[in-house]
Amino acid sequence: MSCTVRIPSPLRSYTAGAATVTADGGTIEEVLASLERRFAGIRFRMVDEQARIRPHIRLYVNTEEVQQLSQPVGARDVVHVICALSGG
Amino acid sequence: MPLSASEQSRYHRHLALPELGKDGQERLKAARVLVIGAGGLGSPAALYLAAAGVGTLGLVDCDRVELSNLQRQVLFDTAAVGRLKTEAARERLLALNPEISVVAHTLTLRAENVLEVLRGYDLVLDGTDRLATRYLVNDACVLLGKPLVSAAIHRFEGHAMTYLPGRGPCYRCLFPAAEEGVVGNCAEAGVLGVLPGVLGAIQATEAIKIATGVGEPIVGRLVTYDALELRFVELPVTRRADCAVCGEHPTITAPRDAAELCDTEALAQVRRLTASALSDLLASELDSAGLVLVDVREPQEFNTRHLQGARNIPLADLARRLGELAGERTPVFVCRSGRRSLMACALALRGGMAAPAHLEGGLLAWAADVDPAFEVAAG
Repeated sequence: MSCTVRIPSPLRSYTAGAATVTADGGTIEEVLASLERRFAGIRFRMVDEQARIRPHIRLYVNTEEVQQLSQPVGARDVVHVICALSGG
Repeated sequence: MPLSASEQSRYHRHLALPELGKDGQERLKAARVLVIGAGGLGSPAALYLAAAGVGTLGLVDCDRVELSNLQRQVLFDTAAVGRLKTEAARERLLALNPEISVVAHTLTLRAENVLEVLRGYDLVLDGTDRLATRYLVNDACVLLGKPLVSAAIHRFEGHAMTYLPGRGPCYRCLFPAAEEGVVGNCAEAGVLGVLPGVLGAIQATEAIKIATGVGEPIVGRLVTYDALELRFVELPVTRRADCAVCGEHPTITAPRDAAELCDTEALAQVRRLTASALSDLLASELDSAGLVLVDVREPQEFNTRHLQGARNIPLADLARRLGELAGERTPVFVCRSGRRSLMACALALRGGMAAPAHLEGGLLAWAADVDPAFEVAAG
């Protein structure tokens, strides 16, 4: 099962500039693992060593904020990765 | 605050809107709005607020206009290069609308002055390019009960959200913590010049809505904008019960400066190399000097041009990859401006490395002082 993932600007250096990619998995954890297989290093930018979502990152499945990495993801879902920006 | 004949003429298109009308325009005239950062976001926001007739417009900035600002900071023209931004902006805004007052705050906001500066205003627009200031301003707005319209940009992407006291989440609810170097910053990564025009105009729109009581502000709604795909996405943000400043048991009860890496005592141990000193070291072979050159920029910046012998470990990956640097040689960190390399030194110190070094002024200083042909990537 694959879903759409929107990559925030600061992490697009991992996706060769792609703003939207597809990933496999039925949960957020699996989606992140799928992203990591394709774009090495990207998972660690979103979650820490204890598998907690980093405080400057927010994850959404469609418009629902992800609280647990076990949150289910469906085939037609869009996962939004939001990263704090500091530019002004 | 009644409108004069010339004001009635100037604001005719507002007066023609039943939602705003004379009452709304008079509210704008009475409004006191503070714009923090006369940069990419602050420029369009301040211009539109001045044009709209906001009676008192404050501007906070301590920088001078640089040529590289003009690609997006539409408050300034080429003749303003070298001038204080607050002074040049004040002239420009008063030329646009002499009916308003413009107050220049030429300073850096810090814990000791932020409440005093913000206290004189009804609402605040945050367009700063420093994370530490974002948190400082957010905390001050929560503590003072002031509305805050926040926006940020990076490359082709922007965010905006409004905080209204007692009504919704604050910036710390959105991002409880963040550090420079792991989030997007325009100085290193670049920014599409017109991008802050969109976000700054959203901030001005929010300010006008709040000042006049018209419409529904983006409270608890993070608006993201991707210029490349021309896509707006709106995502809900809820208030965090454990928010450090607006939560149920706040731990931040007075403004405080972020413990910035650059200010820590530990950094006294950092060896700061000028470009010419590093050049001398390179000439004498880094290996024999017991040093290893580590470029902490993003891969695309590194690939444009890098110093011979440098290896690339982006700052965001450094904490995880510090082990690769374990050994007898001391790392010399380099980046574009010297900011990320100093943060890398702080990370290395935390990781137990003794006396790391960095190139002060970064590769920009290298290009200025050692090798004018060295092309430094914008990011």
